[in-house]
Amino acid sequence: MTEALGLEPATRDALAELLLATADDEFVIGFWDSEWTGIAPMLEEDVATSSVAQDEIGHAKALYELLGELTDEDPDRIAYGREPDRYRHASLLNHRRGDWAFTVARRYLYETADAVRLGALARSTHQPLALLAGKMRREETYHLLHADAWLRRLADAPADVRARLADAIRTLWPDAQDVFAPLAGEEELVRGGMLPTPMRALHADWQARVRPVLEPIAGPLPDAAPRLDGRDRRSRDFAWLHGEFTSVARADERATW
Amino acid sequence: MSTAPAERVWEVFRQEDEGAPMVHAGNVNAPDDELAMHYAREFYGRRGESHRLWIVARDAITELDDPDLLKPPFDRSHKKPGGYIIKHKLEAAKQRALAETGE
Repeated sequence: MTEALGLEPATRDALAELLLATADDEFVIGFWDSEWTGIAPMLEEDVATSSVAQDEIGHAKALYELLGELTDEDPDRIAYGREPDRYRHASLLNHRRGDWAFTVARRYLYETADAVRLGALARSTHQPLALLAGKMRREETYHLLHADAWLRRLADAPADVRARLADAIRTLWPDAQDVFAPLAGEEELVRGGMLPTPMRALHADWQARVRPVLEPIAGPLPDAAPRLDGRDRRSRDFAWLHGEFTSVARADERATW
Repeated sequence: MSTAPAERVWEVFRQEDEGAPMVHAGNVNAPDDELAMHYAREFYGRRGESHRLWIVARDAITELDDPDLLKPPFDRSHKKPGGYIIKHKLEAAKQRALAETGE
């Protein structure tokens, strides 16, 4: 709180936007992937996928708490108390989970983008965020290895599986860019080192990293850039998911947990 | 998936702390050693309960369970430490040593 009070309002709002965007990404992918619980390809993978999804929701919780300290809001209300159009996740996370190849493609795209973003956040001049990002990275390293293992596994699978994976990559490619959509007040954050690298530069790093992996699987991928409204595009799929993940919170808004 | 490759069984051993013995924890099914490592971590390490895991393909284990080799039909009690009664010998040795230093 004390530190939050020391921030200029413009800086605080920009920081809040960064925290909310990152938290919502983690929150929404966590809920989508938890849709595999009970029906993943095999029991061991069921536990692994569910555990990763739970980790993501745990990261979202930590970020919502950081945000709550900054804006003096209840983290649970931030997580569950908003209308669907107030969520700030990237359009990559607007799609329902799809089949296993689609989930693997999305997780690979997201985990790689998240790794690049966390690399920058771990160097943030906002100490609480840098510390949290450092902790998250330790877990995300494993998430990335897991997503990467499955991507290679499906890429080496027979033609029908490989084709599903390639289709999913091509479908998700334009939306994946939006993880790096420009944030309101971003210049302010970059100037103060709270976001030490601008989203545009992080996006370039990420593309340089994933193109050489994805193009041998999916063929040449078109030029694509993050869109200005990349975090404002909502979907029917997300409206459904929102109904699911807020259903318990809405059942009794005064309940304490 | 229709094209899922054959799964193998991997036996998992865990160590609670550095220096503690590796203890058999259980097993996981996985198509290769990479996913076996991930699954072993999820089943036997995700709560911070393990310092180290060993993940071994069950078919890489040499098993011996032949009773002719493990449960021989003759009395082999002399191969157990309990087969030697050395209490009195030790006592005598102590007395001798004492007597020598006493001189």
